[in-house]
Amino acid sequence: MNEEDLGAAWTAFQPAAIQRRRIDARVFAWLEARDTSLASEWLQLFRIEPFSAAGLAAASAISIATAPPLVWLAGALI
Amino acid sequence: MIAAATQPSSAASLLVSLFAALSAHFGDRAEPLDEEAIARLVEHARTGDAGARHALYAQYVERVYRTVRGMLRSDADAEDVTQDAMLAVLTSLHTYTARSGVRFAAWVTTIAVNTARRRFRRRRPELTATGELPETAVEGTDPAGDLDRARLRRALLVALAELPERERTIVSLRYGADLNASEIGSAIGAEPATVRKILERARMRLGERIEALSNPKGATR
Repeated sequence: MNEEDLGAAWTAFQPAAIQRRRIDARVFAWLEARDTSLASEWLQLFRIEPFSAAGLAAASAISIATAPPLVWLAGALI
Repeated sequence: MIAAATQPSSAASLLVSLFAALSAHFGDRAEPLDEEAIARLVEHARTGDAGARHALYAQYVERVYRTVRGMLRSDADAEDVTQDAMLAVLTSLHTYTARSGVRFAAWVTTIAVNTARRRFRRRRPELTATGELPETAVEGTDPAGDLDRARLRRALLVALAELPERERTIVSLRYGADLNASEIGSAIGAEPATVRKILERARMRLGERIEALSNPKGATR
């Protein structure tokens, strides 16, 4: 086998269309997530599902408010 | 005056970016661009131009896959490494410094090879007792789709698995990434003359094994 034959043989390693689509989807999903700020993710969530988003926000606020006293209490008990 | 002179090239580069982005989006193969166009895309991508970033991705994703496939155990590993390497390339463009005589492809494939090496060290290719590579889950989705090509692909994988890691890396960079001896040398930290010597030896070994594996009757004569 010469240089050209081996070069041609390597084309057998070309990714299949389905593999290429999988790679594309994962890379662009990751890049999109990296480029999207947390604030815009929240705004998008409020736009699509306002009630769920409000529920999530309320739950987050409650856990932020209750976590420090609970941690303090656990520390005191230990 | 300067702005007017630069306008056509900006418009052309925008068109190139757009075309390549569309090609990438729809999974088509992008037309290869020259180094000047690649350099412009890199500059645009660095400033956050998503079209340029897509175009760069489309230029190199298949080359990266071809390069790492021969170094790794399975198609799934090659997919993961291609994904990780392309993400590393696109998110670290600000660290790239152009060097004369070394194409952007050499930088991209060096990242890919280093990513593949890390994966390879965790999971070495395994040969079965009969000297064959284990079946992979996507064997049925062979890109060639015909028997001869699938047989050649399999023979090439077996022959590559028998090469030492360094030789496998060098031939993958030569034939998968289409790099020349000095580009390979700077990617792996070796003299071009050494690379040429290793390539010559690996080419002979690969050729003999591929011919024996893809034509078993001929091998027993």
